[in-house]
Order: sequence, then C-alpha cells, then structure tokens
Amino acid sequence: MVNDERAPSPEEMLRVIEKQSVATSRWLSGDPLLLYIPWGVAWVLGFTALFLHYGLDGRPYAPISQMQAVGVLLTSQMVAGAIASYGFVRLSRVLRGDANARGTMFGYAWFAGMALMVIICVRISPQLPPEESGLLWAGSSLMLVAALHMAGGAVWLNWPMFFFGTWIAGVNGLGVLLGAGWHALLTAVLLGGGFIGVGVFLRRRS
Amino acid sequence: MTAEKALPELDPVIHAQARLRVVAALNVLGDRDEMAFNSLKDLLGMTAGNLSVHLTKLEEAGYVRINKTHRGRTPVTFAALTGRGRLAFDDYTKAIRTLLDNAGGNP
Repeated sequence: MVNDERAPSPEEMLRVIEKQSVATSRWLSGDPLLLYIPWGVAWVLGFTALFLHYGLDGRPYAPISQMQAVGVLLTSQMVAGAIASYGFVRLSRVLRGDANARGTMFGYAWFAGMALMVIICVRISPQLPPEESGLLWAGSSLMLVAALHMAGGAVWLNWPMFFFGTWIAGVNGLGVLLGAGWHALLTAVLLGGGFIGVGVFLRRRS
Repeated sequence: MTAEKALPELDPVIHAQARLRVVAALNVLGDRDEMAFNSLKDLLGMTAGNLSVHLTKLEEAGYVRINKTHRGRTPVTFAALTGRGRLAFDDYTKAIRTLLDNAGGNP
C-alpha cells in the first residue's frame, strides 16, 4: 500500500491528504455501532411498548401495563447506555489534551442533566395522571437529549450532530403537544428509527 | 506533465505517502491534543515498526513531538504535530495546490 520510493503525483498526494483528514475526523467521532444504533433499538422497543399501551385514542392496542412498557424502555436504555459508555471510554483513550477535557465535561453535563431530570420528575409526577406523568418523563428526557446533541454539535463543530439535535427537539415538541400516544409513536418511529438510520449512514460512510 | 518538474521542491520529509498520512491525521487534532501511538497505528493501518520509523523521521525534522508516559502501569506513547510540523504541512498543501492549479490552468 505504501510506496515511498516512487514519486507520487500532486493529484495523488492531495487525494491522500483529503482522504486521511476525513477518515481521521470520522474515526475520532466514535463508532456509530456503539454510540447510535443501540439507542435507536432501545427507543424503538421501549416507545413501541409505550405506544401499544397508550394507543392513539385512549384505548390500548395491546395488553401491556404502563409499568411493563416503562420496564422495557428502561432496560433497553440501560443496555444502550452501557454499550455507549464502553464506546466513549474506548474513544477517550485515543487522545490526550483539550479534546479529552472537552469530552469529560460533556459527559458530566449528561450526567448532571439526567440526574436533575430524575429529581424533577420524581417530585412532580405523583401529582399528575399516569398518562401525563409518562409524558413528563419521556418529554423531559428527550428535551435533554436534544439540547445536548445541539450543544455537542457546537463543541465539536459537528453539523450532523447539531441538526440531529434539532430533529429530536422538533419531534419531541410535536409529540408532547399531541399527547402520550402520539409522542410514543413519533419517538419510536422518527427518533428510534432516526438513530438507527444515522448510525447505519455513519457506519457505511466510514 | 508540467507539475512533475516542480516536485523536488516539495518538502521531502512530508513528500512520502506514509508520512504524509501521519501528518495529515495529526493535523486534524487541536493544537493541545495528542494521539496515542496504538490508536494512530490502528487508524493508519500500519505496523508498529513502520509507524515508529516514520514518526522518528518526523521527530528528527522537528515536525512531531513524541511523549512517553504511563497509564496506570502500562507505558503509553503519544504523538502530536509541533507548530513547525503544522506550518510544514500547510506549506506542503499550498505547494501541491499551486502545482495542480498551474497544471490545470495551462492545459
């Protein structure tokens, strides 16, 4: 592959530079198989279960209790989270310096945001009817995911990440306005499917 | 091709495909970031020996900074472009583009 003896043409060298720069940037943004696809699968499974529980007109489409549906969502999210953490830990070993500090701070932002969201929802959800309580949890967690994707886009100047954050924000906002059943359906299809789609796209590109 | 005549003027340290790939990869990092040797090896698909040789040449030219340290008990080596290396890569890229522009401008 590497031939130092032959003098390569300028075209070849420019291609080498461009190819290597692009490949390096993609490589540094992590393996989509670990970072995106497991989340997509978790959301498809969890929000489909919630959708079947809520239904669109207030009648469930399948005999799944809210606790069972939330159980599916939480379990699959925990698996996705564990896989993504492995991906991030692997990624954090690649670089040393500012990039690492940036990644660590971003990781803490996720942690703080999720912790606060849980505190707020635990405090408020007992006052709400079950459907609205489910919507509070789902809507606030997706709000955080949307905002942090957009912030991540700003930190790493990563436009696809930023736009994916706006996509999540839009779908989440619309879903919350339409109610629990629609929110679950839109999230399963457009965001779960979206994460899988983005993951497959990034994977095939690299 | 007219461009071939001007090739010897290109920086000989960088004008070798393997070293150019090393420099192009490290140039993507921020000024204060460095990449672990093993990661760079995997990214470039080179053997450790091959990459070592190229990094040494680049270090001798003052283009790359090598840092040997420990992560727990495991020794880890990090590599980064120096300011001089970044400048050399910039000049090289500009020279290549100029060559191509000249070649393309006079068909």
